[in-house]
Amino acid sequence: MKLKLISVMIVLISGLAGNASGIESLRGMKPLDGSSGKVEVKKVPKDGDLIQRNYVQQPPLIPHKIDGYQINLDFNKCMSCHSWSRYKETGATKISQTHFKDRDGVDLATVSARRYFCTQCHVPQANAKPLVENTFKPVEAISQ
Amino acid sequence: MNSSKKTGRLAKYSAGTLLLGGIVLGIILWGGFNWALALTNTEKFCISCHEMKDNVYQEYKNTIHYNNRTGVRATCPDCHVPKDWTHKIVRKIQASNELYHKLLGTIDTREKFKEHRLELALHEWKRMKSVNSRECRNCHDYEYMDFVAEGRRAVKAHSEGLDQGKTCIDCHKGIAHQLPKGWEKAAKDAGL
Amino acid sequence: MKQTRRDFIKTNAIAATAAAAGVTLPTLSATARAESNKIRWDKTACRFCGTGCSVLVGVKDDRIVATQGDPDAPVNRGLNCIKGYFLSKIMYGKDRLTQPLLRMRNGEYDKEGEFTPISWDQAFDIMADKWKTAIKKSMEENKGKPVDKITSRVGMFGSGQWTVWEGYAASKLYKAGFRSNNLDPNARHCMASAVGAFIRAFGADEPMGCYDDLEHADAFVLWGPNMAEMHPILWSRLTDTRLTKEGCEVHVLSTYRHRSFELADNDMIFKPQTDLAILNYIANYIIENEAYNKDFIAKHVNFTKTPTDIGYGLRPTDPRERKAKNPGKGKLSKISFEEYAESVKPYTLEHASALSGVPKEKLLRLAKLYADPNKKITSYWTMGFNQHTRGVWANGLCYNIHLLMGKISEPGNGPFSLTGQPSACGTAREVGTFSHRLPADYVVFKKPHRDFAEKIWKLPDGTIPGKKGYHAVLQNRMLKDGKLNAYWVMCTNNMQAGANMNEETYPGYRNPDNFIVVSDPYPTVTAQAADLILPTAMWAEKEGAYGNAERRTQFWRQQVSAPGEAKSDVWQIMEFSKRFKTEEVWPEDLLAKKPEYRGKTLYEILYANGQVDKFPKTQVTDEAGNVYQNHEMDHFGFYVQKGLFEEYRRFQHEGVKKGHEQAPFEMYHKARGLRWPVIDGKETLWRYREGYDPYVKAGEGVRFYGRKDGRANIITAPYEPPAESPDKEFDMWLCTGRVLEHWHSGSMTRRVPELYRAVPDAVIFMHPDDAKARGLRRGLPATVRSRRGEITAMVETRGRNRPPRGLVFVPWFDASRLVNKVTLDATDPLSKETDYKKCAVKVVRA
Repeated sequence: MKLKLISVMIVLISGLAGNASGIESLRGMKPLDGSSGKVEVKKVPKDGDLIQRNYVQQPPLIPHKIDGYQINLDFNKCMSCHSWSRYKETGATKISQTHFKDRDGVDLATVSARRYFCTQCHVPQANAKPLVENTFKPVEAISQ
Repeated sequence: MNSSKKTGRLAKYSAGTLLLGGIVLGIILWGGFNWALALTNTEKFCISCHEMKDNVYQEYKNTIHYNNRTGVRATCPDCHVPKDWTHKIVRKIQASNELYHKLLGTIDTREKFKEHRLELALHEWKRMKSVNSRECRNCHDYEYMDFVAEGRRAVKAHSEGLDQGKTCIDCHKGIAHQLPKGWEKAAKDAGL
Repeated sequence: MKQTRRDFIKTNAIAATAAAAGVTLPTLSATARAESNKIRWDKTACRFCGTGCSVLVGVKDDRIVATQGDPDAPVNRGLNCIKGYFLSKIMYGKDRLTQPLLRMRNGEYDKEGEFTPISWDQAFDIMADKWKTAIKKSMEENKGKPVDKITSRVGMFGSGQWTVWEGYAASKLYKAGFRSNNLDPNARHCMASAVGAFIRAFGADEPMGCYDDLEHADAFVLWGPNMAEMHPILWSRLTDTRLTKEGCEVHVLSTYRHRSFELADNDMIFKPQTDLAILNYIANYIIENEAYNKDFIAKHVNFTKTPTDIGYGLRPTDPRERKAKNPGKGKLSKISFEEYAESVKPYTLEHASALSGVPKEKLLRLAKLYADPNKKITSYWTMGFNQHTRGVWANGLCYNIHLLMGKISEPGNGPFSLTGQPSACGTAREVGTFSHRLPADYVVFKKPHRDFAEKIWKLPDGTIPGKKGYHAVLQNRMLKDGKLNAYWVMCTNNMQAGANMNEETYPGYRNPDNFIVVSDPYPTVTAQAADLILPTAMWAEKEGAYGNAERRTQFWRQQVSAPGEAKSDVWQIMEFSKRFKTEEVWPEDLLAKKPEYRGKTLYEILYANGQVDKFPKTQVTDEAGNVYQNHEMDHFGFYVQKGLFEEYRRFQHEGVKKGHEQAPFEMYHKARGLRWPVIDGKETLWRYREGYDPYVKAGEGVRFYGRKDGRANIITAPYEPPAESPDKEFDMWLCTGRVLEHWHSGSMTRRVPELYRAVPDAVIFMHPDDAKARGLRRGLPATVRSRRGEITAMVETRGRNRPPRGLVFVPWFDASRLVNKVTLDATDPLSKETDYKKCAVKVVRA
């Protein structure tokens, strides 16, 4: 019922906006053969609070800007704060223990080389309102 | 220059004329020297060598010292050449060694540059540390940092670090250029 | 019971939610508490790229509450990329489609009407009506034509994201049921060039090697792919090897600098299209230095050449097509080794360097690497080679190098084409969803192949049309021209992908002669352009199977229910087939051959055929006894997925073509995927080599058994210019592609707030000097304009991609700026795959 109501509402709203098709894509109501959407810079805040995870297995998001951070064969900038030798001094989150295992699950003294490029799993967040609401519920919300 | 013949010839002129001539010549030479000095103290001059242009300059172009919110720029000499005259001359004399290596082609390819960049970086870090990051401080003064305007991480680092007597370059290595492989250990070994 | 690492992680995860069931025996009250908090974990294959990572999905109360990398999966060993980690949220965008929507006005269908909710019954009514009209017209047009000449006005655009059985069911409905070969997958945009080259060189599709090469190779050469972003998990394996193996090197080639260059020992930026020259230079270097493997060549290789000046797959009226001497030609002719050597001779180091702009010493280093007999090399590529107007050539030129050196089909040595979609291999290629293919590498244009398919499918002789159908790009042209009138787009977003959208795609969809149906979980831009939208169950809302780039087939069970009235693709296809009686779609002469089929529906002929419906309804459970739903089984009354898969397997086991065998259905629900051919329960890691491939006999060493003579073809092909190059007015190259955080058109990932915030909008990556020269700078909006269309986006000069001067890169995930309005619909004339990597644009201040 609720869903039906939503789709009816979508149809109504789009009718008002003058879109002939009456459905809204991620393009919004803009016609397909029309011009591009508004261009605006969405900034990543310099520093923010830790971002709540959706579930324990989710890699933490980066709560700060990482513009220009060097992560290459020569050097990994992230490690200068997040490594186990530095995190106390810098107050950064230390890298997870899961990162000290190789592909075969053998424990290593240093971070596994397969985890070298942090940004494959950890990304910063720009100040931007989501395009569409997401109704995912974490397990706590369901258990209650 | 000081041969007796020349002195003899000069003797024909009165002391006044000589003095005047000397002053004029002095001004020209001095002016020329300073003009040349100023010329070599520009970004344009620095990147007239491809070694600088293709390597460090390209990296610098991606950093906040090249472009930023207010358009205030730190060009190569702002960070790498002292402002006041005595220190500047000392640095410029050292630069003759760089000219020598330019002629030798020590870093004339990307590969050669990469081979040497750790050594070169260590030189510069050493220099910066030895003068308590003097060139950084031409613009950045701890006294005037607004902790409200700074990010959380910066406030922590600045308030704690500087209390411990740290100097800018202790933490900000690689702020305008890429860091070479193995720099951390090398810097530590060199007490940087 | 042995506790696996997966169990360990599972228990930890469960412990995290205060449930320790299965590890210790808790007290009754604790058990009760644990039950209420218990998360059910089960494996699935990732919904995104062709890597094929295995993912553990945590479900509670019919909702996905968590996902994590599967520690027991050989592909990813517990890792996921950022997209994979957020899979749990992709199904929960608030705008999920839950009802069929038809464009209506005054209570009736109207092409210009507004989308209005209707029932499935009503949806199939109007759809069947439109299909029947189009089929009737086709039948009239085909009267008296032989089977290899018949055409059709109905078509379908499918997907490399379809599950295996969905593709198979669609292939059957179209090629057999509707007698239309106008079925093509979006994999045409993605893998067709690789397919063409595999068939030409080896007589069999798909790579000979596997991901294990990532641990075995001494060196990696990336011919364009930005694996760091597009195949992050394979990249992490490659990185692991590079950083831990003594002497390992990584060579990276691309037309712009990207994240994969961060690991490059030899970085090469080349001018677009000159990869052809570089590839030939390497072959030339190998020959001139007599580094080639004489023994291997003598035993396992033929030398051939391909016709040149073959055009650009544009409309035949285009001047570039008219000018071409051999448009679309690809028949190989045999040459000698000496003739081959002569053909690559012009590609000297100097010439290759001058043409490509890559410094000589870098090219030389690359050539020496390939020529070193002691180095094991794996070459990788994706869309750079494939989306290329000479894509089949480019793929082949890379094989040439590996074949010359004999560096192929063994651990660490081989050319490997990466795929972009989760089942580009498993579905699009393997079950015959291309307009020229039938399941298991059989093709429509060979009568014995059609006969074989008709036999398995129990069809009257001559049912399957012998003429190749419309491929992806041609479908758009035919829609525009009014020759394709009833069209179903399923599981893909072609309004955002198809090149030259303004001039070809959009006009075709909105052509009043046509009826366009789009099945999707979300309102995509393609759905916006449709006449009827069907709400679709996605990913873990159905039982599925994907086949990844290393020939690994992976299954998953249905984890949760779909929202509202959303139905899976296979449900839609099979349910729609009930609407057609054989008399309505087949001509009298065909029916006369099997009179018992009269009056039957296509559903009865194709699915309830005694084969597909062979496996009765049963309860789906896992090893731990958890029970899973299967919506299709409930609805149709038999194990649909198993029936379709087992019938498909007959193509692999009963035909003349060997080497494509998959294991029985049940095995895949237990294994973490298996790489075909699976013989006696054993998977094959390296094809064509003795000791690894059961089809290569003892003493043969290597045998490319896809070809009759057992030899692979080295195919010489020259450098030829691209279809469109920058000129005075349109003075820059445009290259398009993906980013790490979004998958393809972003219809799933951009609905996950975390992924959206990571990369909110597409930007124009360009060189700062190019920006400056145009009065632009970082953060300013600019317009990218071609002869076909334009988009506006923000300029980025400092981002993760650093183009050289003269090139801009724009990702295509952003529906607000459809960069496919700008791209050119030029294709490889052989593979019909569009070149999305190069066209001419100008960039001006917006």
